[in-house]
Order: sequence, then structure tokens, then C-alpha cells
Amino acid sequence: MKAPSWFAGPIGGALVVALLAAFVVPGMAGDYGIEFATTLVLWIALVQSWVILSGYTGYVSLGHAAFVGAGAYVFILTWGAVPFWFGLVAAGFTSGLLALIVGGPCLRVRGPYFVILTLGVAEFVKYAVINIEASLGKFGRLMIGTPEPVDIYRMAVGLAAIAFVMALVARYSRFGVGLRAIRENEVAAEMTGIRVRWLKVGAFGLSALVPGVVGALMICRTGYFEPLQMFSPQLSLTIITMCVAGGSDNPWGPLIGALFLNILSELLWDSAPELYTVILGVVLVFVVLRMPEGIYGTAVKRLARRSRKAVPGETTP
Amino acid sequence: MGTKNRKITRRTVLAGAAATGASFAIHRRARAVEPVKIGFTMPKTGYLGVACPVAYQAYELWRDQVNAAGGLKIAGSEPRPIEFISYDDQSEPSKTVQIYQKMITQDKVDLLLSPYGTPFHLALGPVAERHKFPIVGSTSNSTLLRDLGVKYMWAGQQAPDVYAPEMVKFMQSVGIDSASMLTLQLPASLEFKKFLTPELEKAGIRLDANDEYPNSITDMTAMVGSVKAAGSKAVLGLSYPLDSALYVKTAREMKIDVPMQLLFIGPALPFFSQQYTGADLEGLMTIGEWSPSQTAWPKAKPFYDAYMAKWNEKPDYLDSVISYASCEILEQAVAKVGLDHEKLREVISTDTFDTIKGPIKFDGNDNVATKPGLLQVQNGELEIVWPKEIATATFKPKQGWS
Amino acid sequence: MIAQLVFVGLTTGAIYALIAVSLNLIYGTMRLLNIGHGDMAMVGAYISFWLFTLADVPPYVSFLIAPAVSGLFGLLLYRGMFAGLLRRVQGDAVEGSSLLVFFGISMVVQNSASLLFSGTPRAYRYFDGIVEFGGIAVTESRLVALAVAVVAIGAVLAFLKFSIWGLGVRALIQNRAASAIVGINVDFAFTFASVVGFALAGLAGAVISMYQAVTPFMGGPYTTVGFVVIILGGLGNINGAIIGGLVVGLLETAGIALTGPNFRDLLIYGVFIAVLMLRPQGLFGRKGAH
Repeated sequence: MKAPSWFAGPIGGALVVALLAAFVVPGMAGDYGIEFATTLVLWIALVQSWVILSGYTGYVSLGHAAFVGAGAYVFILTWGAVPFWFGLVAAGFTSGLLALIVGGPCLRVRGPYFVILTLGVAEFVKYAVINIEASLGKFGRLMIGTPEPVDIYRMAVGLAAIAFVMALVARYSRFGVGLRAIRENEVAAEMTGIRVRWLKVGAFGLSALVPGVVGALMICRTGYFEPLQMFSPQLSLTIITMCVAGGSDNPWGPLIGALFLNILSELLWDSAPELYTVILGVVLVFVVLRMPEGIYGTAVKRLARRSRKAVPGETTP
Repeated sequence: MGTKNRKITRRTVLAGAAATGASFAIHRRARAVEPVKIGFTMPKTGYLGVACPVAYQAYELWRDQVNAAGGLKIAGSEPRPIEFISYDDQSEPSKTVQIYQKMITQDKVDLLLSPYGTPFHLALGPVAERHKFPIVGSTSNSTLLRDLGVKYMWAGQQAPDVYAPEMVKFMQSVGIDSASMLTLQLPASLEFKKFLTPELEKAGIRLDANDEYPNSITDMTAMVGSVKAAGSKAVLGLSYPLDSALYVKTAREMKIDVPMQLLFIGPALPFFSQQYTGADLEGLMTIGEWSPSQTAWPKAKPFYDAYMAKWNEKPDYLDSVISYASCEILEQAVAKVGLDHEKLREVISTDTFDTIKGPIKFDGNDNVATKPGLLQVQNGELEIVWPKEIATATFKPKQGWS
Repeated sequence: MIAQLVFVGLTTGAIYALIAVSLNLIYGTMRLLNIGHGDMAMVGAYISFWLFTLADVPPYVSFLIAPAVSGLFGLLLYRGMFAGLLRRVQGDAVEGSSLLVFFGISMVVQNSASLLFSGTPRAYRYFDGIVEFGGIAVTESRLVALAVAVVAIGAVLAFLKFSIWGLGVRALIQNRAASAIVGINVDFAFTFASVVGFALAGLAGAVISMYQAVTPFMGGPYTTVGFVVIILGGLGNINGAIIGGLVVGLLETAGIALTGPNFRDLLIYGVFIAVLMLRPQGLFGRKGAH
């Protein structure tokens, strides 16, 4: 771990932004503003968690739906039986544990095989939960007495801040160097003595903690749990979309991707409710074709090129 | 709060769009009567995209009819035309919650109609309660709405605990003593199964094949095979539209010769009679208690004709009818007490309303005036065969396939 | 009953195989992960439905028209988008980028269909008589589906095996770097894969529309099955896709007869996961192919 100072700036910044978001925004935004902000912040938490494994190592996972769903399920099972905070933590750790269990065998396959395998695992878990619920005679579960929207929002902000710091530390620590070495060349990484297997499984487990808690907060918002909704593969695809649109080599890209897609869809949804998904699709195609390294990656490159031109001889760090 | 609120979320809207919006608002105010804004969401995309048109088509028909007749009658003021503010909730209850908040606090709608489907009603209950904004439910039928304990939302359809005993009574009345049950693993079907199973047992009806299947099902050969082997007198398919169609396809192939073949949701939908006609459709049963030929409800036939004329397809006897009826309830309540939400809540909770499916009256969250019933296809038309009081035909055993 | 289950499983599996083979052509040659593949089938299904409903065109004519339209769509997409993308992006990045491009295309196609035709399911009747033979009773449309799938897959296999052009495509699927060196026309192979891959998806949709209601969202499950099948059989392996398709088709019918319909997905994904645990490259994939 080279220099904690590397983290100090961004972590301090994240803390300030989070505090501002948690305590200033609710006073300015109305009920709807808070709902929008909650959605946005939960997506930020999700993309930051996803990037730890999939962004840094290149193992693109469609498994986040399973972690969100598993967290939500554990949360509703413990609802009313344990303190609220304990339920949230349990939701996170259950998802993390699930990732550790399936991670070992799953991470033996690579590329598109891994992508579809994680989809398969997520669907398997979904239908397992559907069957368990059906055999228990349950048909959706209600939660009465969920927290107020503004409190859910504040928890979501806290969670997003934690996710961001996790992604940041994972990126710039020795752990992150190992992960990125796996992406560049897994065989070579192994030969230089990096414990590839442990790193990958560890990253998978870490990246599943936050979505478990997101799942719990999501069902707090509607007060209703139903497995088909909570284990939606669409969620996993949307996460990838945000990360690739923003660029997924560091925490900033996904952050920008989440902001970009959420704000864009909010604007379109409001002004063109009929056409907005079509327009969103077109924008997505455009972004991928024009900016193969994502919005953030492309912007950094352009800026670097410009500054190089302005100050000849100077190199960017 | 309103203006601040506007600032934050509208800041990002293109200036041009904002300007047109503003000038439109001014233009509207300049006109004699400002429209009544009524908001709702529909799952136009996502897994309910295939199911919801029957509901919003009924809403749109109602709006057009009211506007053609000079506008919505409001107690204490002159009639005003209706303007719908509607959005796609993408089949996600959390989106529904978010959008209804927006419609209440930003779009400042005067009234709300309900979204589509039970989970969406359940998610919306607390929102209605928080904003003290009455919402007459439509396509929701769960006992869970009662558990929610809300005072500003009412269920459109009867909950399964009321429906199941009626279904069993019907089965007894036609001498059915054994049944096979096929249940889709979605909340509405599972809840129905939960209440139906003990009722069947109580009535001494033997339950033979009893399978559950996921929404991803693509083939029912094995399941229908077990139904055939069991030789029951009834098939109770607690199914949704697409798997209902799959059942018919498979039952035809395997020549299921069972007098009572009921499919939860499907036979009343327009596409069903595109896919199956004649002998295949004939005799199939579904849930519902409405028919345009019931003369006790003078508004039923005109609704059917108007819907046919506007959409060139039949209304769904369950969802279109209850959606339209929920509009009628709101309309009559507004005519009586105006747009005040608290007064509306009071009158909706206590009055009896005259709708296309007869009188509707709420006790708590439930409609207690309508008795749940069953429909059967006879000569290509859906007829009410239960309850006896409103029946338009008597039950005929299903006679094979084409 | 067993014969019925197996036969029905084969008819279902044949359509899965058709979808998987076409998906595999696109992946095998260009490394594009087409998650809009099922939506192409949806387009074919709507073409067949509307032609029949509005102009009384029988589905067997649509079996030619639908693939022509979707094949043209494939050609335009390749020329307009992927030819450029494939020049600029290489390696694993192609897979990631293409996933997203197709996600976008899928959103556009699906939601355009939903805007144009609404979400209402549509259906028509054709080939709906019941045929009986050897204790099996099936709807004619199943037999037609089986026949079309067999002919179409057979034609692709024959082309790949016996024509000099097909040989080039096959070589490309097996070893990309080497095939460019030995002077195989890569642009032709890519164009071929785009056109035929998309055309076969449209054909599958036209066939499916005979026995399943048409909706804007019907494609999703076929995309998922398509991917499960080609991973199961080994990416880029055409024969593997055929066998994989039949395996999944049989699991859906005979498999759930043994276990129960509620286990359908646990069975399919369970077998899928188990196979990848034992053979990380799929049933017929080559070691190190990833």
C-alpha cells in the first residue's frame, strides 16, 4: 500500500459530498426529488460494487441480480425479528457469502462463458427462491412500518459512499494492482506469484456486499417483496450499461455512467414518455460506437492530449 | 416548497421545453375552463406490457366519453374537460411509487386513477396514505391490501378468500367431485391456490394432479399428461394469458376430455379468440362476473359497444370492466363532492356507486356489493354461469376440441 | 406418453437449435454477443402475423419474406456499425462493446414494436390441425417447425462443409489469426454471418408465430435460451449448438416430466452450471478456446 495520501483526497471528497447529499438535498428537493435521488444513489452504489470484480479484472458478471435479490430476501425473512440495522448488515453479508460460495467454481471460466454462467447462476438462485416461497405458501410479502423515504435516502447515500470508497481502495491498493494484472494477462499474473484465484474470489465476495444491502433498501421503498421482481436480469444488464458507458477501469467512470444514464433517462422520460426508451437505446449505441473507452475514459484522453499540446514535454502522471 | 421543488428537478430540463410548457400553461389559463388533470401509470414496457392495454384502453374510452359529453361534472363548479397525465412504469413497482409522487407533488394532478396489477396497488397504498390522496383500485385482488391497513385505497376485484368459496360452490352445484390444479408461480395465482385448496377439501372435492409451474414455461405436455392420467372432472388452471394459451394447445393435442376446464386469465382476452376459435374455445371457463347481455345493468351493453367501436376488439370482461368501473366511481364521487380529497375519501368509503357491473359499495378496502363469479364461452360469447342471481346462461360441460 | 414427450421435446429443441446456430454464426466469426437476437425473431413473428392478418399471406410465404427482411437488417447493421467497430476494437473489448450495442438495438427494436403495435398479444391460426402417428398426437405447426429447422440448419451445414466460401467461414471460426494470413476473405465471412445469422433468427420468429402469441417482448426468453445453448455446446461450435438445442428442448419436456414443472429452470440452469463446472469450455468447445 503505497501512500494513504492517494486515497485521502478522494475519500475526504466523497465524505463531504455524501454529507452534503444526505443533509442538504432533502431540504431542497420535494418528495419526488428525494425518490429520484434515492434511485440515482442506489445505482451509484451498485455500479461501484460491480466494478471491483468486473471492471478491474475484466470478468464481466451478470450476477448482481442474484446478490440484490438474495439481500432483499434475507432482509424480508428477518424483518421484524431483528433490529433494522442488523437486517441490513445480514443482507449484505449473505450476498457476500453467496458470492464466495459460487465464486470459486464460477471464476474458473472466462470471457463470454463467465458472462452467461453468472446469468445462469442468477436465474438458478431466482427460481430456487421462487420455489421456496411457493412451497411456503407465500404470494409476495408485505412489510409494514418501513422507514420514511428521506431516511431510506440517507442510508442509500451512506451506502453509495461506502461503495465508492471500496472501489477506490480496491483500485489503487496492491489488491487492485493484482486484479488489473489478471485482466491484462491472467497466466502471466499467476507466474509472477499473484494468487490469482484468491484475488478473484475475494473481489467477487467484496463486490457482492453492497448489492445485498441495496436489495434490502429497494424493498423498503415499496414495502413489498416478490422474487420475480427482485431477481430481475434487467438490473444486471443496466449495471453493465452504466459502467461501460462511463468507462470501468476506475470508480470515476461508473459514477459518471450512472449519473449520465439516470439524468438522461429522467429528462427523456419527462419530456418524451412514449419514445424515451427508444431514444435511450439510440444514445447507448452512439456512446459505445463513438467512445469505446467510455465517457470518462474518452474525456481523460482528450484532456490529456490537449494539455500535452499546451505544455510540450510535460507528461501526465 | 412547490417552487423550490420545481427548481431542483426542472433546472436540467432544456430551456426550450420549459418555455413551451410555460406558454402552454398561460394559454390554457386564458381559456374559459382549465382541464381536470388525472394521473396514472401503466406498465407499457416490461413483463406486464402484454397485459395492460385492456386496462388503459378502458381509461381512455372513459375520458373520451366524458369529454364528448361536455366534461367532468364537479360539485360546485361547471364541468371541466379531462386531461390525462400518464407514464410508463416499466412493470416496476418502485417506479410506480416514484411517478405517483411526481404526479402528486410536481404535476399537481387533481385526481388519480390506479396502476395495473396487484403489486403496484400494494406499493402505492402507503403513498396514497401519506399524501391523503384517494385512489380507487382496479386490477388488484389480494388479501394483502387489507393487511396494509390504508384508508385511501380500495380494491377493485374481490380477494381470493371471497372468490375461492364461490368457485367451489359452483363446482358442487354442477356435481364436480374431483379436480386437477395447475398453478403459475406468480403472486395472484399462488394466493388463489392458497385459499382454494382448503375450500376444495372442505367440500370433499378430491384434488388429483396438483402442479406448479414457473412463468418461463414453454411446454405443458408433461403436466397435461398427468391431468389426463388423473381423470379428474375439472381442470383448474390458475394461469396467466400466455400459459393459458399454451394449455389449450396442449389439451387439444392430448384430447383432454374434462367437463370443467377453467383458465384464470386468458379466454376473455382478444388474442385468445384469434388463436383459438369454434370448438376449441367453446366451453372454456374463466373468472369474472360481467357480461354485456346482463340486462339488469343498463350501462353494460353501451360500454361494450363503445369499447368495440373505439378499439375494434372486445373489452376484457375482468380488467377492462373493473378499470372502467373505477373511473365511474371517481366520476360519481366528484360529481357529488367536488375535488376535495378528504371529502372524496369519505364519499367513496360510504356511498353505493352505479357502474357498468352493477352497484359497487366498499366496506373497508373491499367491494362488498359485487359477488364474484365465473364465465363460460358459449356459442363464442362469454356468459355468466355463476352466481345464479346474475347468470346469463347455465353451465354446459366442455365438449372436446376441433 | 414417453414417445409424445420425446417428440415434442425434439420439436422445441429444433427451434432452439435454429436460434443457437444463427447466434453462433455471429459470435463464431465476429465475436459479437448479440443479445438482440431474440428480438430479431420477434420482428419475424410480427411480419408473419401482419402479412397473414392484413393480406392473407400464408406463413409458408412469410418463411421467405421474414428472413429476407431480417437478413437485410443484419446486412445494414454490419455495414453501418459493426464493420467499423470491428476495425477499431479488438480482443475481449469486442465482446463487451457488442453486448452494449446490441442492448441498445434491442431496446430500440422492442420499444418501437411496442409503440407501433402496443403490448397486446397477437395470434392467428394456421397449420393447427392435429396429426397422429405411432401413438403421438401433435399440432401440425410443430411438424412444420421441425421441418423448417431441419432444412435451414441442414442448408447452413452443407454450405459450410461443401462450398469453398463456407470453408473460409469455417476456417475463420476455428482460427481467426491464421485465416487472415492464408488469405481468407474476412469481409465476406463477416457479411455472410451477419446476413444469414439475422435471417435465420427472423425465420425462427416466423415459425414460432404459428403456435405462440406474438408480443413485443417475446424475444427475451429466446435470447437467453440461445446463449445457454451455445455456451453449453461450446461457443463457435455449430454442431455443439445443434446438440445443445436438443438437450435443452428435451429437458423442458421429458426432464420436467421426471421432476415436476416447477423445477424447469432449476433443471436447465442446473445442468448448464454442472456442465461448465466439468467442462469449462462447453460440451464440444476446444480447450483454451476462450
